[in-house]
Amino acid sequence: MNPGDVAAILFGVFAVLVILRVPVSFALALACVPVFFLNDRLTPIMLLNEMFKSYNAFVLLAVPFFLLAANLMNSAGITQRLVDLSRAMVGHLPGGLGHINVVVSMLFAGISGSSTADAAGIGSLLIPQMKKQGFDIRFSVAITACSSVMGVIIPPSILMVVWGGLMSVSIGGLFLAGVVPGLLIALFLLGTVYAYAKVYNYPVYVRASLREFGRALFHAFWALMTPAIIVGGIVGGFFTPTEASVVAVVYSLCLGLFIYRSLKPSQLPKVFYESARLAAISLFCIGTASAFGWILAYFQIPRALVDEIATWGLGPVGFGFLTAAAFLLIGMFIDAIPAIIILGTVLWPVAESVGMHSIHFAIIGIISLAFGLVTPPYGLCLLIACAVGEIKVIQALRDVVIILLPMLAVLLIIILLPDLILALPRWVMPKFVQ
Amino acid sequence: MKKFLDGYCQLLRLLLTVMMAVLLIPVAMQILSRYTGLIPRYIWTEEIARFCFIWIIMLGAMIAVREGTHFDVDVLPHFSPRIEALVRIFTAIAMLFVALTFVWYGYIFTKFGAIQRSEISGLPMWTIFIAWPLAGLSWLAFLGEKLMTDIKILRGETAL
Repeated sequence: MNPGDVAAILFGVFAVLVILRVPVSFALALACVPVFFLNDRLTPIMLLNEMFKSYNAFVLLAVPFFLLAANLMNSAGITQRLVDLSRAMVGHLPGGLGHINVVVSMLFAGISGSSTADAAGIGSLLIPQMKKQGFDIRFSVAITACSSVMGVIIPPSILMVVWGGLMSVSIGGLFLAGVVPGLLIALFLLGTVYAYAKVYNYPVYVRASLREFGRALFHAFWALMTPAIIVGGIVGGFFTPTEASVVAVVYSLCLGLFIYRSLKPSQLPKVFYESARLAAISLFCIGTASAFGWILAYFQIPRALVDEIATWGLGPVGFGFLTAAAFLLIGMFIDAIPAIIILGTVLWPVAESVGMHSIHFAIIGIISLAFGLVTPPYGLCLLIACAVGEIKVIQALRDVVIILLPMLAVLLIIILLPDLILALPRWVMPKFVQ
Repeated sequence: MKKFLDGYCQLLRLLLTVMMAVLLIPVAMQILSRYTGLIPRYIWTEEIARFCFIWIIMLGAMIAVREGTHFDVDVLPHFSPRIEALVRIFTAIAMLFVALTFVWYGYIFTKFGAIQRSEISGLPMWTIFIAWPLAGLSWLAFLGEKLMTDIKILRGETAL
């Protein structure tokens, strides 16, 4: 079988099955099966073996732990403390609750590595409040979903852990490189909220006094220390990413059980179960995606792609656009983690051959995939926010598009200016990031 | 039959919760031993953690088939309840193929595991590999249940 045939079978079968609503993870496995049967040297046992090999990676353990830490923070009411702090910071700007929504997402992103926990936790607190204050429900849902994408861009980030583990890129370096894009997105989102508030005349809060701000800061202090511990621990070389994720779990358990005393031990089994289940569903997909990627590599499809793209004569910028477009497209249809495995590993050799920095390539991919979290048909954060706001996805779509446009501008800036994101990791970790 | 599957699924949920809590222990031990010296530096902690982790993934994947929470893509327009049932039957049959592959090749995979031991802790590998055929069997049961329901809808035996 030549690479073209194999690629046609794999992607053809996968596409048909996914359109007919077969779960993505099963469609990936099923697409592999005919190839395993048709080729004499392959057997379906390799499918299971590739799955086993992909799960048997210590770095992936960080995924359920970061998710668990975020869910513990939500259950312990730490998110509410962050909301109070944000209110004291930006509540007095036009469209108060909209700004609060963005700032709290940013703060929460620094604590959790997952966007879905962000959308669920913040959505259930803020969307009902925004409704009560007369904000348009479609806008409330859209801003909650769009601001939650910062969860995987601002460190810590589950996607960066997976990317770094898979393609041997420094995870500390990726974390640091995510800071500037995350802050830029927050800034652009605040601008968008401001414009909305001016057009629709949205309500504001009274400006908080310095004392109120101090109180809110004090109340949220221990929660705000989380990013320092996690990111500092990884960048400083004290913990591996997996260990840092466990530290985050233990830290949030201590905050909830002993310091704030807002988490009851009886709540724990449910939080553990929910986190494990959600992590397992997305991780299961890693296994079948790895088998899929393994077949692609076995038939040297990535190499064919490298040769093909080499004839286009793209530079780093041109290839940056291609990367962003490819990840934005695939992110609309599948979950971010399998997308990294299938597309990231295929494009990675091309990125090297055009002389793109590995961290720059990773950040473009991760931001594009993060945007995929709010684009239908498969936009997990948008689905969650819509469920909280009790509206249909289609109703929120117009506002999502409006809010996404300035975010795409951030992506454009990052493609054009790699030094903007590389400066921080180069400065902090000169030994690891050139 | 439904009662039995409910009970089985509940058992899987319980196991998943316990595994998640257990998973914390070896990694926490690893950090404690490196920074405090309270406990010796075991080298098997990482391997045990990885094995618990694999079981968590497979258990979660089993439960998600019953609950219908595996991620799918919603691009197909929605039809009448009967056609919807037909689409679901197709989906279930496609998933059945995966389940059968897991059962049959998982059985061979586990037999390979019976003669292997893990590199560090010496655990027999079949204790991990058996998660695959077990997942396949659980899916067969759960998918069979779903198929029965949808076939009844298709035949018009269930009030909609």
